Amino acid sequence: MKVFKDKKKMRSYKEFLYILPFLILVAIFSYYPLYGWIYAFFDYRPPFPLSMDSFVGLKWFKAMVENEVKLKQTLNVLRNTFAMSGLSLLFSWFPMIFAVFLNEIKCKPFKKFVQTVTTLPNFISWVLVYSIAYCIFNTTGVVNEVLLNLGVLESPQAFLQSGEHIWFKMWLWLTWKNAGWSAIMYIAAITGIDEQMIEAARVDGASRMQIIRHITIPSILPTYFVLVMLSLANFLSNGMEQYFVFQNSFNKESIQVLDLYVYNIGMGSGGYSLATAISILKSVVSVSILFVTNKISKMIRGEGFI
Amino acid sequence: MGKKKLVALFLVVAMAVSCFAGCGKKSDTMVIEVYDVAANYQGTQTGWFAKVVKDRFNIELNIIAPQVAGDSIYQTRASSGNLGDIILLDGTDFADCVKAGLVKDISAEIKETTYLKDYMDQINTYNKGLPDNADGKTYGIPAQMTNTSPSSYSQDVIYSSPLLRWDLYTGIGSPEIKDLDGLLDALEAMMKKYPTNADGDAAYPLSLWADWDGGDGMLGIANVVQLTTWYGEKIKGSAILKRDNTFTEITDKNATYYKILKFLNDAYQRGLVDPDSGTQDWNAACAKMSAGQVYLMWYSWQVGFWNTQDRLKDGTAFIFTPVKDQVYYADSDTYYGSGRIFGVGSQVEGEKYDKIMEFLDWYASPEGLVFQHDGIEGFNYTVDANGKYTIMNDNALMDNLPVPEEYGGAGYSDGNNAINQWIVDAISTNPNSGEPYSTQYWSSYKAATMTQMKKDWAAKFGADEPVEYMKKNNVLLVSPNVSVTLPSDTNDISVIRNQCNETLCDASWQMIFAKDDVEFDKLWDEMCKTMDGLGFQDLYKFDVEKHQIEVDAKIAASK
Repeated sequence: MKVFKDKKKMRSYKEFLYILPFLILVAIFSYYPLYGWIYAFFDYRPPFPLSMDSFVGLKWFKAMVENEVKLKQTLNVLRNTFAMSGLSLLFSWFPMIFAVFLNEIKCKPFKKFVQTVTTLPNFISWVLVYSIAYCIFNTTGVVNEVLLNLGVLESPQAFLQSGEHIWFKMWLWLTWKNAGWSAIMYIAAITGIDEQMIEAARVDGASRMQIIRHITIPSILPTYFVLVMLSLANFLSNGMEQYFVFQNSFNKESIQVLDLYVYNIGMGSGGYSLATAISILKSVVSVSILFVTNKISKMIRGEGFI
Repeated sequence: MGKKKLVALFLVVAMAVSCFAGCGKKSDTMVIEVYDVAANYQGTQTGWFAKVVKDRFNIELNIIAPQVAGDSIYQTRASSGNLGDIILLDGTDFADCVKAGLVKDISAEIKETTYLKDYMDQINTYNKGLPDNADGKTYGIPAQMTNTSPSSYSQDVIYSSPLLRWDLYTGIGSPEIKDLDGLLDALEAMMKKYPTNADGDAAYPLSLWADWDGGDGMLGIANVVQLTTWYGEKIKGSAILKRDNTFTEITDKNATYYKILKFLNDAYQRGLVDPDSGTQDWNAACAKMSAGQVYLMWYSWQVGFWNTQDRLKDGTAFIFTPVKDQVYYADSDTYYGSGRIFGVGSQVEGEKYDKIMEFLDWYASPEGLVFQHDGIEGFNYTVDANGKYTIMNDNALMDNLPVPEEYGGAGYSDGNNAINQWIVDAISTNPNSGEPYSTQYWSSYKAATMTQMKKDWAAKFGADEPVEYMKKNNVLLVSPNVSVTLPSDTNDISVIRNQCNETLCDASWQMIFAKDDVEFDKLWDEMCKTMDGLGFQDLYKFDVEKHQIEVDAKIAASK
């Protein structure tokens, strides 16, 4: 046979076989589920199977914006999503700086201790985080007791019940949970920095801060950029667990992000079609954001990341 | 062979052997999957009830609980064409599943049964009411039927009424309570006189919780919708059914949803509401009830978290306290069932089908019902020579008492019937004793709980039991039990319902915590505007048409 005679071709077939399992996995787990998008174009209601009688075209897409109140709700959800993702993006340098300073600690046991303590919250689920928050901040919790005894407060305050500064508070919780974990990547990058460079700088009389500014940070900036861009692709999916556990009637207006909104209207009462329509829209916007950032990256750095 | 290899070989052999052993164990115990909307537990039934079932039928019950697994399991299983072997669903979903071909026609087999046959009147009435079932095939068995009558009211207490701690109420001089303001006055006086519980923890007359909102087919905060029955009105979806059998919108300022919401806000303005109410869940609220930090309760079952025989004896228990201007709504005995329906999956055939019918028949038999409602003879109750039952170990469920090995071992509560729904209600009469299945209606129990507190209460209000008082004073509206299948939501309606419910609940909570009346009314008006924008009027129209069917049937039944 000709195929087997052509050595080069055969090699490429063989190499194709190497990646075939991964392609199959991607097809099954990433592309096959997209079939579910079909629900957005039907009036789907379990237990009845889909049929052409219930085909409704773009009705559910229109439903998101069909009158003032609904438009306001959709925009409100988008605003919260952008605000909270934007806030994390704005402070995305925080874990990096944290890693840099952590690296400067000379006392080994103390350094290890800090690292462990800050990494640990990453492994606590959000449900538990909320129970901790509830115990600390409810009206008979520690914070209220202390403030009441100090005379700062006159009557107990329900801290979790207020919707004020909720974006910032959510960022604080997120940082508390994630900072140590995200720092790991930077700590690895710092270890990769050539010791000779630092020693040479020290010989030349550079101070600690100067070394950080001119050697450490520039060396780990590429890592930082890659991480930022990856997080940009996830700009619209800031997860729902955190907001789900912290939501209540008083803060919902500022805490409801896209993923949570999809959950609240989709899973709450079987509004599967509308929920699917919203998540399609989300995917489309996410992909566009990814392409735009890639373009910008090409313009600024001269190279893209996809 | 190296040592490592030897060990590895040994492990492989051990694993293979245990694998085969596992297979062998399966023997011929049949596993029955129960898709069960009432269950709070998912997985295989364990403990004493598992033993009862296995000894009789050699089957194992595998419970699939949407309350645990999430509602999406309904969609996944329904689309696979197999919901479960035994199916328990709410009436509307059940009718949909019959239409989608997921439920088996059991017309022939139900006639062969011994005990289910006694309920054929109710079963036939239900099945004839199913859409597109003119030839009267049997698909479903209503849950919680009784052997009393559709218009009788056999309970001693109604589902929701104001319940106060007797010691605190007498402690403030047992004032006569005229209306909701009077109730707040009384609660305020209690809080002033008893600011903490016995342990010194702050107590609040009212502690609310948010995680049940929008449930039971009623829009709005669960704590509010229940209390509307104190003024004879009942919420049906987005509509309020008034005393004269007409509907009004839930957003009507003259109706009870507004009234009760205002009551809670007044309570808040007077400082009577637990400040954690908006953020705590049922478990947190329940812990406070059990610790005596709450002074007003309203569900009949809620007192179970405080009242014990001892507290009834020393007079510190909760009991109904009349508010003079109230007229109470109550649903009568569930003769035709409570609304949930048992059925058999359409894919079930052969031996399994026979076993299931046999099991369901037993489930409705006196023997089965005593297990479900009363527990195990010799552990939960004893029977004397005259066939009268007496309760023992009455804290078995509350404290999860260990069950003796001969009955199946493990904790009593852990091994309790996980189906959590019965075909026949506990208020029905047990033919073997001539008394209801429900332990609280046994003459032996009544004699044991006739305490000083109960005597004082009876002397003050001139009746032995709350319901007797209500009937005497003509303040009880009993709504007859009917069997109707209501149309299910269309897609549009279910989206509107969900969004309106969220808006209503969020705004309601903010209103309870409103600083003053001005803010309260401002929030109310904003809420109405938002709900109208979400399509509230369509929803209301749908709900009125839907529930008119039920109201017509009720009017016909009470004639």
